[in-house]
Amino acid sequence: MNTETLTGLYRDMWLIRAFEEGLEAQFELGYVPGMLHTGLGQEATQAALASQLEATDCFFPDHRCHGINALAQQRHAGNGERIMAELFGRATGVCSGKGGSLHSADPTVGNFGDNAVEGSYLVTVLGVALAYKLRSQPRVACAILGDGTVGRGEFHESLNMAAIWDLPVLYACVNNGYAISLPVETGLASGDIVDLARGYGFPCEIVDGNEIIEATEKIATAIEHIRAGKGPYFLEFKTWRWQGVFSGEFRSDEEVKYWKVDHDPILMARDELLRRGCSEDELHAIETSERQRIDEWIAFAVESPSPDVSKATANVYTGWEVASS
Amino acid sequence: MTEKKLRKASFVKALNGALDLAMDRYPEMFLIGESIGELGGDFGVTRKLWEKYGGERVRDTPLSEAAIIGTCVGSAMVGMRPVAEIMFADFLGECYDQIVNNAAKLHYMFDGQFTAPLVIRTACGAGFGGGPHHSQSVEGWFLNIPGIVIVAPSNPADAKGLLLASIESDDPVLFLEHKALYRSRGEVPTDYYTTPLGKAAIAREGTDVTVVATMRMVPMALEAAESLAEQGISAEVIDLRTIRPYDAETILESVDKTGRAVVANEAPKIGGLGAELSARIHEECFDRLRCPVGRVDALDAPIPFSVPLEEANLPDTNDVREAIQDVMKA
Repeated sequence: MNTETLTGLYRDMWLIRAFEEGLEAQFELGYVPGMLHTGLGQEATQAALASQLEATDCFFPDHRCHGINALAQQRHAGNGERIMAELFGRATGVCSGKGGSLHSADPTVGNFGDNAVEGSYLVTVLGVALAYKLRSQPRVACAILGDGTVGRGEFHESLNMAAIWDLPVLYACVNNGYAISLPVETGLASGDIVDLARGYGFPCEIVDGNEIIEATEKIATAIEHIRAGKGPYFLEFKTWRWQGVFSGEFRSDEEVKYWKVDHDPILMARDELLRRGCSEDELHAIETSERQRIDEWIAFAVESPSPDVSKATANVYTGWEVASS
Repeated sequence: MTEKKLRKASFVKALNGALDLAMDRYPEMFLIGESIGELGGDFGVTRKLWEKYGGERVRDTPLSEAAIIGTCVGSAMVGMRPVAEIMFADFLGECYDQIVNNAAKLHYMFDGQFTAPLVIRTACGAGFGGGPHHSQSVEGWFLNIPGIVIVAPSNPADAKGLLLASIESDDPVLFLEHKALYRSRGEVPTDYYTTPLGKAAIAREGTDVTVVATMRMVPMALEAAESLAEQGISAEVIDLRTIRPYDAETILESVDKTGRAVVANEAPKIGGLGAELSARIHEECFDRLRCPVGRVDALDAPIPFSVPLEEANLPDTNDVREAIQDVMKA
């Protein structure tokens, strides 16, 4: 990977980190309603995916995918701030505030929205992929799934059906080590999810999800395979989420230090860029400009109006109006 | 409905004809389900369509109801028009999440950016010894879900027209086919026509009492009404046809006229369609009602296998007749 591309991905990772840290601060202040699941620590996997999917492809994000949602929105529509506004429940959000953190979608940038019963889109992605296949479109339908959702029955139904029908599905399995608090080794028959996926007979690979170059290149290879009509592909990204659970941190100090310091995806990319001759100042400027961008997005969200209450019954059906009182 | 040419046909044949006409008309439509291809479906509704349209458009699946409906939802999100068959309505539990959290909500929660123009056909209802897991009336499971359309025909002509309207609809439709009606026969127009969704039909006009019925309870209500006509009771029978969103206007206008109402459905009494319709009539026609709404429902128990037990559970023509007589006494 050339340095220009790596620098771009480094910037994308900073956009995600600044987005999530800015959002967390606003959440603490009470400006962001509902629940908050951040993608902190998973920036490399998300930036890599966002860089390889086109607006004409489709991805189903999971609940930690604010970052990929924002990157897709920014890259393809130039208005990433609409993802921020959605999380604030504002009329300017991509779903006019109806979806929020767990249901931000915009099909024009390929974002088909999360279904907050996590993992249930594992079967929804089949339909998008089938339509692409029936229409002979060389497109990719990507499901971004966490390790926790591998416990759901839809995982089996999806991989089996994608295999028997040779569907153009990219399974981007983000293994961040825990289903809520249950360690992946305890909750699944194998800590390596590819062991479970291999039985379906299509390519399955483990990727260091915090290594941006490796993640990006592996995704590119998988997408090439899928666009060539060779059927589904399964990638397991080994990563780790910074966020604990609602009640706090439940993991050991040693584990936290390993992932947040020694194996931080941004610090790893930074080391590589410095090794290639980029300056500290140049890299610092990237961080600063992304933080500045997110401050502007937050200001946009805060200043945006709430949706009109008459919208509470809009778009329940296409064919009927629903009484608004 | 423009009726050109009529032909006597069974409920199954009427549905089969509707699917055939729609598959021919809509290239974005496909059928998906368990053994719906060469076999033609467990009840024969998709017979000969696999031969005519091929395996790409008449898709056999493994026993994966969640994946069947997920495939419908995802393909509908990108403009396909899928029609799924879930062999028995009792299996809808296996794909409940896809219907309730996905199909029914995505137009709303993504604020109009997606639609879900899919139809889920499924065989429901009791009366043939199917036992607890092949006999249920599931409309109550979905009645509380904004965004879903529930269609429930009672005769072959409506089955065809309503299925074509469901396929045309951009909203997700749960299309209930009562198994005991599959072999019923009636005059069915042979050409393409739609019967409007959300509109009830007055199956029999009357002046003394309004009977609102669905699916198999409609022929039973008609039979009860005919037998009571000899006693001088004039019962109006409304075939609801669409359970959600239902046609309150037709019901309330009729009750305004008659001042008496009976609500007949095959599901358990508590928390279902009967309860909803009864509450609505009381709420909106209270000053016109001469007595409380009469109820005809199944017992509040699962459907048992043994024939006498099943008969004890289910409402029949006699129950409707008695309910009408009860409200007429008041």
